[in-house]
Amino acid sequence: MKRLAAIAALAAIATATACGTTETADTAGTGGIYTTIDGSKQIDATAPINPFNPQGSTFVGYDAMALAWPKNNLTDPNQFYPGIARSWTTTPDQGEVVVHLQPNARWSDGRPVTSEDIRTSIGLAYTQGGSAYTVNAGAAGAAADIQILDDKTIKVTQGANHSNVFLRNVLSTVVVPAHVYGSLLPAGFWTTLEAARGTGPAADKAKAAITGLAQKVITFAPREDVSAGPFVLERINPGAALLKKNPHFYDAARIVPDKVKVLNYTGNEQIWNYLVSGKLDSAPFTAVPAAVMAKIKEAPGNEIRKGYSPVAVSMAFNQARKPYDNVHVRRALAYLIDRNQVTKIASPEAGTPAVTTTGIHGSSAKAWLGDGLAALDPYKVDPAKAEQELRAAGMVKKDGVWAMPDGKPWKVRINVPASFSDWVAAAKSITSQLNDHGIEASVITSADYVLYLDELAAGKIDIGFWLMALGPSPYNIYQRLYGSANGWSLLAGQLRHSPPGKDGNWMGGPETIGGLNPGELTNRLNLASPAEQKRIVGTLARLTNQQLPVVQIYDYVNTQFVNTTRYNGWPPAGDESLRLPAGVWMQLGMIRKK
Amino acid sequence: MTLIAVRGAPRVNPVVRRLAGHVVRGLVMIWVVTTISFVIIRNIPGNPVLGQYETLIEKGMSPDEAQRATAALYGFLPTGSLWEQYTGYMKALLHLDLGQSLSTPGTEVVTLLGSAAKWTVLPVLGGTLLSFVLGVTLGVYAGIKRSGKLGDLLSISGSLLHGVPQYVIGLLVLAIFTTLWPILPAGGPVDVEFVPGFNAGYLASLIQHATLPVLTYALASYGGWVLAMKSSVATVLGDDFILAAELRGLSRGVLFRYIARNAILPLFTILALSLGMLFGGAIFIERIFNYPGLGLLLVNSIGARDYALMGGTFLVTTVAIIIANIAADLLYAVIDPRVRTGGTA
Repeated sequence: MKRLAAIAALAAIATATACGTTETADTAGTGGIYTTIDGSKQIDATAPINPFNPQGSTFVGYDAMALAWPKNNLTDPNQFYPGIARSWTTTPDQGEVVVHLQPNARWSDGRPVTSEDIRTSIGLAYTQGGSAYTVNAGAAGAAADIQILDDKTIKVTQGANHSNVFLRNVLSTVVVPAHVYGSLLPAGFWTTLEAARGTGPAADKAKAAITGLAQKVITFAPREDVSAGPFVLERINPGAALLKKNPHFYDAARIVPDKVKVLNYTGNEQIWNYLVSGKLDSAPFTAVPAAVMAKIKEAPGNEIRKGYSPVAVSMAFNQARKPYDNVHVRRALAYLIDRNQVTKIASPEAGTPAVTTTGIHGSSAKAWLGDGLAALDPYKVDPAKAEQELRAAGMVKKDGVWAMPDGKPWKVRINVPASFSDWVAAAKSITSQLNDHGIEASVITSADYVLYLDELAAGKIDIGFWLMALGPSPYNIYQRLYGSANGWSLLAGQLRHSPPGKDGNWMGGPETIGGLNPGELTNRLNLASPAEQKRIVGTLARLTNQQLPVVQIYDYVNTQFVNTTRYNGWPPAGDESLRLPAGVWMQLGMIRKK
Repeated sequence: MTLIAVRGAPRVNPVVRRLAGHVVRGLVMIWVVTTISFVIIRNIPGNPVLGQYETLIEKGMSPDEAQRATAALYGFLPTGSLWEQYTGYMKALLHLDLGQSLSTPGTEVVTLLGSAAKWTVLPVLGGTLLSFVLGVTLGVYAGIKRSGKLGDLLSISGSLLHGVPQYVIGLLVLAIFTTLWPILPAGGPVDVEFVPGFNAGYLASLIQHATLPVLTYALASYGGWVLAMKSSVATVLGDDFILAAELRGLSRGVLFRYIARNAILPLFTILALSLGMLFGGAIFIERIFNYPGLGLLLVNSIGARDYALMGGTFLVTTVAIIIANIAADLLYAVIDPRVRTGGTA
């Protein structure tokens, strides 16, 4: 009897295996099913089909559309590919942005996409706050007026305090249908918004009324997906989302796949499995150990596309702690770290050793600084210079080991989150190198990233790894070094500096250096003309190179995986679209069936 | 249910009295655990909104986009003093309101728990029952034949599998059946291409996806059952009634039944507790196979510092274990007359 039961169970599994691989309820047409993952979030099937919800069951580039898609330009943040906006014009000071919608744009239920949809989307964005759509009228780059010029044209006017990324922020607007989301904005919303731009108790009340809608907007759950993108959500479960082609998409002829399957993942290992088995047609970069990378490359059709990624990894100092308040110590450490070696160990595929420390990614540093880059100290490995610097800082060497000026032991502790394998490897490589040069160094890991950030903010860490150089906007680049982490924050449009240990200031650098206030210069970057921006970036790069609030270790390389077995026509290496989701590549006519 | 009148006062059935005692103790236990977990959860270091912001940056989002995506999350953070939060939480709990999630902003925690629970029950319940049936059956043989080759073999297999951590078995199974011999899917609960419902394709896909998690769970817990049953059988074999049964010349089949029925009693308690524990999920298995159950939900909620969701997951696990404890105790009283209080053995 038991034997019979076992045979029956095995037969059931075998049948299931056989059935499962052949029978599908929804067969795809000639375009096939394009399989990928969403690098920005894990799937949560209970989340509403709502792009305003950070975990929402919508997928950027597929069924979630923006007015336009940002190009991965080295220096200009205002370069975009068309999305729902076919074209746009702006005044030289970006005071006015006029957006012309795609004439054939329709929602997946067949209704046309109109300027009213854009106006509603902007209204909803105000409830979430930030960038161009903030109720704080004094904030730089806040929109002051939204005007419908005709059914397919809309004008957005910037307030008095101009920002040079206003165009970028307007074009990044996520677009939702007014006939689905419109009811979320109460009657009189635009009047309330107008009142919120003033001052006094009435304005405060109006501001509270607008931001009070945030939760209602985030939790709104439409019964079905109504998309203006090339796809529309058909079904979702905790393991994957299935999107089908939107026949009403304005350029449907360009879209080749009939369906898109977005697989979920709970960790990098699952993405590695998908890649090794050749399951994914494309995937954004994931940290991969060398052995796994070799396996991925072996899988038939797998290829790697590399391009510019405006992110760099640095080793940041808490300058409120001794001896890291002394620039000579920071320089000495920079002279002892072999960045080539660290990068080779930590991120051989997705990193290039930093040329030097400028605060800017190496690729864009050339564009920003030109010949000025060569004039900076490259901090090549030089133990002799390191010794000079340490002696200048008053450090003493006893029995071949460096100690504090008072003779007490100097223990270099480098903190990293345990879950970031490349950072852990880099930190270990650095401590090994420092130990070789007589500096007692070790790695301390924090259990997870959230805890790590908390420890950083609390000033508990001497040296920690930090992401920086977040281009292309120069403000975003330097805000990581001279922003809230180093004491400077914007409050009601006013810049202020908090002392070390307060308001998240864990870097603890001085407010002014040689008469320069790096926080003020950074803040100015959002408002400056291109010529002034270039001058400020040059100043900040030199200052960063001399003062070393961080040691830039390696610059990330945008490394995408594609599989040529089922589709081709991928963006070439270095293409400005490479960081965008594959849904946008399809919109640009790039993906073709083999 | 028989009420026996003693000196004019009705005497409460001992099982009912026992159950009432358990329920009261269980409610107190739930309050204690909920309070302790509330305090612990609120004191876990880490700012969830900053964490989400930096995670989005790390995933390549621009600071502006990340700021837009996380600004409204502040509205979901608990406010007020710890005491105010606690009283608010307990009041809501009395109405079975576990609050809203922060990591899936605005979604009710109850919804998330319900969604995850169904995916936990299938592999863990399947794995537990499979390993129990296999382990107990083979454990009886291992106990009876403990000086033979079969007994040795079963004991060794039990010890070996019992000593291997669950995640190692999971990774091995994953490597074998999805890479070396790729016949089963590596992750997810069911293929999204199938229309959910009672149709062959969907059901087949469900079984396909559940096979490896069930197998892993069964292998990981099989050893414990074999060893426990073998030990229990060895104890029973020394009892007088077995000697008496042998002397009476009872058949081997009857003797086997005598041994098995008496030896299995302690294992029922463990089984009931295991079924209670299943609501805690199988964290490693769910993570390895991307199976969206309660264990994975708990891990993700801790990573995101989603206080409401963490509290809800702990609560479900606590309630399940307490109920399982009560069930085990009552079940034991039912199947073993010797432990019935107030009854006759």
